[in-house]
Amino acid sequence: MNTDVPTTPGPSSGSLLRRSGWRLEKRLEVKPWHEVVTLVGAFIVGLAICSILIAASDKSVVDSYRALFDGAFGSRRAVYETLVQATPLIFTGLAAAFAFRARVWNIGGEGQFFAGAMGAFFVSNLWHAHLPRGVMVPVLFIAAAAAGALWASIAGLLKARYDTNEIITTVMLNFIILLILSYLLGDLWRSPDTFYFQTVTLPESAHLPLIVDGTRLHWGFGIAVAMAVVVHVVLRRTALGYEVRGVGINRTAGSYKGISVPRVTVLVMAISGALAGLAGAAEFSGIHHRLQLDISNNFGFVGIIIALIGRLHPAGVVVSAIAFGALVNGAVTMQIQTGIPAALVDVIQGLSLIFVLSGAVAVRYRLQRTHTDE
Amino acid sequence: MSDVLEALINVGVLASAIRIATPLLLAALGEMVTERAGILNLGLEGTITVSAFGSFVVADKADSLWLGVLSGVGAGILLSLLMAVLVSSIKVEQVVAGLALNLFGIGMAFYLFRAVYPQTGGEMPRSDTFDFAEIPLLSDIPGVGEVVFSQHWLTYAAILACPALWYGLNRTQFGLELRSVGNNPAACDMRGINVTGMQYLALVFGGLMAGLAGAFLSVFLSGLFFVDVAAGRGWIALAIVIFGNWRIGRILAGSLFFGYLDAYQLSLQARGVDVPHQLLLALPFALTIAALVVNRRRSHEPLHLGVPYFRGER
Repeated sequence: MNTDVPTTPGPSSGSLLRRSGWRLEKRLEVKPWHEVVTLVGAFIVGLAICSILIAASDKSVVDSYRALFDGAFGSRRAVYETLVQATPLIFTGLAAAFAFRARVWNIGGEGQFFAGAMGAFFVSNLWHAHLPRGVMVPVLFIAAAAAGALWASIAGLLKARYDTNEIITTVMLNFIILLILSYLLGDLWRSPDTFYFQTVTLPESAHLPLIVDGTRLHWGFGIAVAMAVVVHVVLRRTALGYEVRGVGINRTAGSYKGISVPRVTVLVMAISGALAGLAGAAEFSGIHHRLQLDISNNFGFVGIIIALIGRLHPAGVVVSAIAFGALVNGAVTMQIQTGIPAALVDVIQGLSLIFVLSGAVAVRYRLQRTHTDE
Repeated sequence: MSDVLEALINVGVLASAIRIATPLLLAALGEMVTERAGILNLGLEGTITVSAFGSFVVADKADSLWLGVLSGVGAGILLSLLMAVLVSSIKVEQVVAGLALNLFGIGMAFYLFRAVYPQTGGEMPRSDTFDFAEIPLLSDIPGVGEVVFSQHWLTYAAILACPALWYGLNRTQFGLELRSVGNNPAACDMRGINVTGMQYLALVFGGLMAGLAGAFLSVFLSGLFFVDVAAGRGWIALAIVIFGNWRIGRILAGSLFFGYLDAYQLSLQARGVDVPHQLLLALPFALTIAALVVNRRRSHEPLHLGVPYFRGER
């Protein structure tokens, strides 16, 4: 900002506002509690609007939210299932957060998720009979990370070499990988005993072990949290992390400081893709044990939202992924108990994001009484 | 083999290509105008879904197809106004606002759909659909009549919108100002052009066109609403704008070409020809990436696309 008095107030031009004797001013510093208030406020406004939707369909708002909460946290089993739902979202949230830190807009988490799942299936299908579980599972995770990284690198290389818009290329690559998978499921990979587009179910040697027996909570959750720690350390404590943050703050200045921006772009894309790919491995090897076209519940796209609500911070990603997992999990109970469509959760998620985003901008301004009347 | 070749020029395939191209063309034209004003609206998919729902529910409950189209358009405009507030007034990152709009829009449409039509397990609710608007005399021409002149009225409107839009953008003061906003908002601001106002108008137009695309899917094509009714068409429309390098003629050609590929693979599937139809479907997306690379030196991409404009900040 330059030093002269801001004549245009705030984010919106506000002749109406000015006439009322108030004006918007940019804050000099944004304190953490401002942000916390914004986040909580955003969530409450989102819930309030959804309450109107619930009330409009003649259902009890309190009962509905209680069912939602019970479904998410009401019992030990519910909590485990919430963590199961959160697991892929932690991975894809980290994937988006890492890329966005460098201001590389990887919108391809969804495609990289599938690339990862395909990599995991490919090696499991090949070797599950020959390798013990202790070797097979790590190998399939590595294959998934490699596949995700490879698929994302296409967009990274195109951006580094030709300066193509990665938003567009990653979105296009999402469709391409899904169509490739659809082709493979209808042909080479189709299970011989079914007409559905799905592969065979792989035996136990390719299954991720469970954390708690008798539930669906698998070690993918542990790996996801571990990856959050790794991403945090990489961002804060390594040369690469320094470069990533540097490029994110200012590309031009970064290149003057001797950072190779194209190299960082490709690396960031690859790492981001690898993280999304791990989500694919966790879902494949922890939950489904086979490939289908519907193994992703929009994980790639929701991951982007989680990254933003988590303020692109690994810990924030874990927290908001668990919150979103709880919403998804609780919605099932809510639908069964009250008949409220589970799609309400998408509305809550979309609204929270809209308000969090608006709040993030709004928090940079404050209302100030103008001294002279105009 | 002969099936594969015959389908290439089959009258039915060509006619359905134009039909499939219609919503793509509508949404892509709207998005092109929005982008010309510097706003990248990734929320097309959600906008189309909401509009398809709006059209469907009103057409069904009020028993009027025209009211259905109107409310679909209204829903599209409403959603893009929300986008306008977010990106043009509050100046939220455009990519993210678009994605939020998708999630919110699709969730909202499906929630309301389930609220109005509780799941019964029976048949899906179905609305009326428009009849084809066969143009007298012209539709009697063998071949051409069936392919070109026996379409829906909205298809004719979409095609006629191309020259009108071209004139508006390239031959009027308003069009010039709109394009300048996308290229150099600071200069426009200095000239007294209301940048925010222009972006609102461009987004509203985009919402109107996406609304028509949504209406086309429900009350023209199928008479159905389901959560995946847009089926990626919003994203394909975005691809077409890039593939067409932000130029109307090429956007028309791109829409027809993408529509044709889809119609062709559908007819091959229907004939039971064993070809990897997924590869035909993937072609538009691969070609769009290729177009980005090939056109990078003579790109007509608006210079300020996707960058929020703050007065007084450089």
